[in-house]
Amino acid sequence: MNNGAGRRINGAAEEDDDEDDVNGDLDAWERTYTDERSWESLQEDESGMLRPIDNQALYHSQYRRRLRSLSSTAARIQKGLIRYLYIVIDLSRAASEMDFRPSRIAVIAKHVETFIREFFYQNPLSQVGIVTIKDGVAHCLTDIGGSPESHINALMKKLECSGDSSLQNALDLVDGYLNQIPSYGHREVLILYSALSTCDPGDIMDTIQKCRKSKIRCSVIGLAAEMFICKHLCQETGGTYSVALDESHFKELILEHAPPPPAIAEFAVANLIKMGFPQRAAEGSISICSCHKEAKVGAGYTCPRCKARACELPTECCVCGLTLVSSPHLARSYHHLFPIAPFDEVTSSHLNNPNCKLQRNCFGCQQSLLDPVFGLRKQTRACRCVPEVQTVLLPGL
Amino acid sequence: MKFQIEDVTVYFPYDHIYPEQYCYMIELKRTLDAKGHCLLEMPTGTGKTIALLSLITSYCLSKPQSPMKLIYCTRTVHEMEKTLAELKILHNYQIKHLGPQARILAIGLSSRKNLCVNPTVVAAENRDSVDAGCRKLTASWVRALASENPDVAMCEFFENYEKAASAAVLPPGVYTLQELRAFGKEKGWCPYFLARHMVQFANVVVYSYQYLLDPKVAGIISKEMQKESVVVFDEAHNIDNVCIEALSVSVRRQTLEGATWNLSRISQEIDRFKATDASILRAEYNRLVEGLALRGNLPITDNWLSNPALPDDILKEAVPGNIRRAEHFLHVLRRLVQYLSGRLDTENVEKESPVGFVASLSSHAGIDQKTLKFCYDRLHSLMLTLEITDTDEFLHIQTICDFATLVGTYGRGFSIIIEPFDERMPHIPDPVLQLSCHDASLAIKPVFDRFQSVLITSGTLSPIDLYPRLLNFHPVVSRSFTMSLTRDCICPMVLTRGSDQLPVSTKFDMRSDPGVVRNYGKLLLEMVSVVPDGIVCFFVSYSYMDGIINTWNDSGILKLVFIETQDVVETTLALDNYRRACDSGRGAVFFSVARGKVAEGIDFDRHYGRLVIMIGVPFQYTLSKILLARLEYLRDTFQIKEGDFLTFDALRQAAQCVGRVIRSKADYGMMIFADKRYSRHDKRSKLPSWILSHLQDANLNLSTDMALHIAREFLKKMAQPYDKTGSSDKKTLLSQEELEKLGDGSMHEMSY
Repeated sequence: MNNGAGRRINGAAEEDDDEDDVNGDLDAWERTYTDERSWESLQEDESGMLRPIDNQALYHSQYRRRLRSLSSTAARIQKGLIRYLYIVIDLSRAASEMDFRPSRIAVIAKHVETFIREFFYQNPLSQVGIVTIKDGVAHCLTDIGGSPESHINALMKKLECSGDSSLQNALDLVDGYLNQIPSYGHREVLILYSALSTCDPGDIMDTIQKCRKSKIRCSVIGLAAEMFICKHLCQETGGTYSVALDESHFKELILEHAPPPPAIAEFAVANLIKMGFPQRAAEGSISICSCHKEAKVGAGYTCPRCKARACELPTECCVCGLTLVSSPHLARSYHHLFPIAPFDEVTSSHLNNPNCKLQRNCFGCQQSLLDPVFGLRKQTRACRCVPEVQTVLLPGL
Repeated sequence: MKFQIEDVTVYFPYDHIYPEQYCYMIELKRTLDAKGHCLLEMPTGTGKTIALLSLITSYCLSKPQSPMKLIYCTRTVHEMEKTLAELKILHNYQIKHLGPQARILAIGLSSRKNLCVNPTVVAAENRDSVDAGCRKLTASWVRALASENPDVAMCEFFENYEKAASAAVLPPGVYTLQELRAFGKEKGWCPYFLARHMVQFANVVVYSYQYLLDPKVAGIISKEMQKESVVVFDEAHNIDNVCIEALSVSVRRQTLEGATWNLSRISQEIDRFKATDASILRAEYNRLVEGLALRGNLPITDNWLSNPALPDDILKEAVPGNIRRAEHFLHVLRRLVQYLSGRLDTENVEKESPVGFVASLSSHAGIDQKTLKFCYDRLHSLMLTLEITDTDEFLHIQTICDFATLVGTYGRGFSIIIEPFDERMPHIPDPVLQLSCHDASLAIKPVFDRFQSVLITSGTLSPIDLYPRLLNFHPVVSRSFTMSLTRDCICPMVLTRGSDQLPVSTKFDMRSDPGVVRNYGKLLLEMVSVVPDGIVCFFVSYSYMDGIINTWNDSGILKLVFIETQDVVETTLALDNYRRACDSGRGAVFFSVARGKVAEGIDFDRHYGRLVIMIGVPFQYTLSKILLARLEYLRDTFQIKEGDFLTFDALRQAAQCVGRVIRSKADYGMMIFADKRYSRHDKRSKLPSWILSHLQDANLNLSTDMALHIAREFLKKMAQPYDKTGSSDKKTLLSQEELEKLGDGSMHEMSY
């Protein structure tokens, strides 16, 4: 009995120790500073007073910039709708650093998940694969494919970080994979890079030129600081390079990669692709599903060529290899080619003018535009809910 | 763009101008109007050179009635080429707007090594052998010989140039060294002699400091320059040291041995001449009786270098009788060499004034002051007479004569120091006799006196009031400009404590403390983990660098590093590999030494240098006898306190080191001053204002972990895209309209 109790006490003590270790050897008061960094959200104004950083104005200006850029590119720009994207995640030692809360890799994983979902939502015809770099070696985590769940599941299982990072190895691996895809697909790599150096077996400049030749668009999002080699890579291959300031900025940056980028001119040849529009099977019908290899009851899709059953769209038919899509998918992709024109801004004084014939409600959500609660939204004729509403409506058009 | 500054229309080849460039031009214009000298400090990367060139050339264009010559002095050949390239852009722009009347002739003048096109001569490895190789082919007696005997080799380029005679002129235009060589090759004229000839007629001459400051070289050029010239010293923060070096001579045992050998060679030659053609020697004697006005009589190639720093009387006076005959002169030199070698045998350090030295010389060796004064010119006259062409062999005896002339001429501002061994290695006897100059104003005085305007400009001239005192002149304008930036792209920090809160310093009593060394190591290591690409780390001296690296190596905290050594080739190789490591994304650290070659001439811009760490305050070696003597002189003559001068010197070196990282406004970089002494006001206030204005109070007293955090934030902030022209309230690029809109008044508000 005594022994048992003693052990338990010891065990409890050990647990306490473990907890302490997690937070390093910092005292509680130090931890509040290192964890929260409350001073970072303050800035000094001209008179030396402290005031919180005005993020709202910042975001608003960014939003407006995006609107502008959209309108300037509204002229016909060819965009790659069928994208083959490899996400390269750096799992080197640097990814386990704690400057993002709780750690860089946790933040990366979280946002990669959102990104993958958003990506498939906006590009239903595209495919994604994940590559990780660890101990200086690049591994293929998931093969290129169209199912968000399988990628996310695979990624969440493997988040240990160690060793150095090697950009060259990752690029070589991805280059090998992307060279096999059909010519109508747009080859892209998105690298989420935590490390500040790259340990390469050979000359990385050659690899960059190779990527350039095989028309792979490489984009990098850095988590620590600007690196020359990454900048060079992006410049050479036509990608974008950005460095995240904090978590929300990182999210914004990664989501910028979801809409399709303009296609590389010399590569964008018109191509005809054969696609099937499968019919939805009747409720309650029983058939053997070709993807899971088991009998299933209920909703499913039947391939128009070989009549095999698929569980979800879009996909490639397991039997005849036909690309199976539904018309909403096509329409959603099509939407990128002809984006909605930006709304005209209507000032509140204009709205108050009784002679004005404009609508006073947002036609999407029916909120009154005069309502002071909506602060920011007031400035557009429709509030920001509209683009999304339209995307959903488009298939019906 | 084109705009007015008071009554001058300035042609500026770019569409936009920085506000500080505009202010710089205004100040320059005032200097030129006042026909005085000026000191201007403007940070690197703000386009000093182009502002300067475009204002001065435009000034000349707007006042055609008083033609002016621009003499632009640079430190290195590389800078010379850059300046000429800028001038070319400017010149094309001016011609486009003004037509052919804007044509000017601009040339760069460099040594034969850089200009020679004769493949056999230029193949020689160093400057002196190229010079000698050239003389061997072009000296007048060689050519005279060749006209009789066709086997004697001559330089065809020089012959063609001579044949063309007065027809050999450069058409107006801007010639870089490269183009000058190409032109010479095409025409078959020697570019070096062509350039030397054209210097008299050119509107703009770009050459090295030495051509104006070093009395041994200055003669060929400065003699021909008109008074209405504007002399510009670019990157002139070390100008006092250049002046001092130009007038300092050190004599070692090898020098004396070489000189003895030279003397016996000369005496053989004399014997040979006596046997064959004694009339030449007699003719020389007669010439010397008439005085040293021999320069005019000799053809241009033989016109060796004379000494403008010498008082005028030496040129008018006749050579003293006791050295007119060649044999007698040789005897004098032999006695001098013997006396010097006797002095070198001393056991302890000796310090003497030139007056005392001359007195003891005349009592022991029987050589009086007047004789000494003429040694340099007499030797050259003799060597001309003896038709000696391999001048590089005779450097030793030239050094001795140089020494003799300087000792004989100047009673003040110099001292003679004899050290039997190097202070740092007392067990190796390496006696050296140094004639060191303490007064920088001596060498530069003729330049100030002779030319209408002298501009001294650099990125680091702080504290700006000290330079006029050191160089002993009165500037009409001395101003320091700051950089207008769209974003805070430099981040200076003063680090006073390590991560364990113990102070760090390279103070003598603290530097070898293992705690301090460890803290420096930790600092570097932590910084390496947050800074991408290149990091440059400056140490105070080679010996300290070696020591600290050894300690780090022993305690195992060393990574991929490149180290500057005293060997030039090795350093170049290390730099090359460092650049490659930065390019390929590996990242690297470069260890270097303040006052080294790297600190002076190599840029670590963009990703080659994201961070400089200045470990310690780079004070000069304060136990050095020369420095002590100089400090004493400065205190007595110019009332400059020792401490002030030392701090000034150390801080300008530090500023120079950290200034290496930022070469343009689009660039960004961090600077860490890692020594607790930097936080003191007297040190800090001597940093240039463009660094000081970015040094926030919060960053004055940091420990390693705080610095680390700031570095992280800074790098992230700098990686964001930004708008180059600046926001509306803080313009950093002005177009022509904006410039016109801004009255002079508002420009001034911005600059002050």
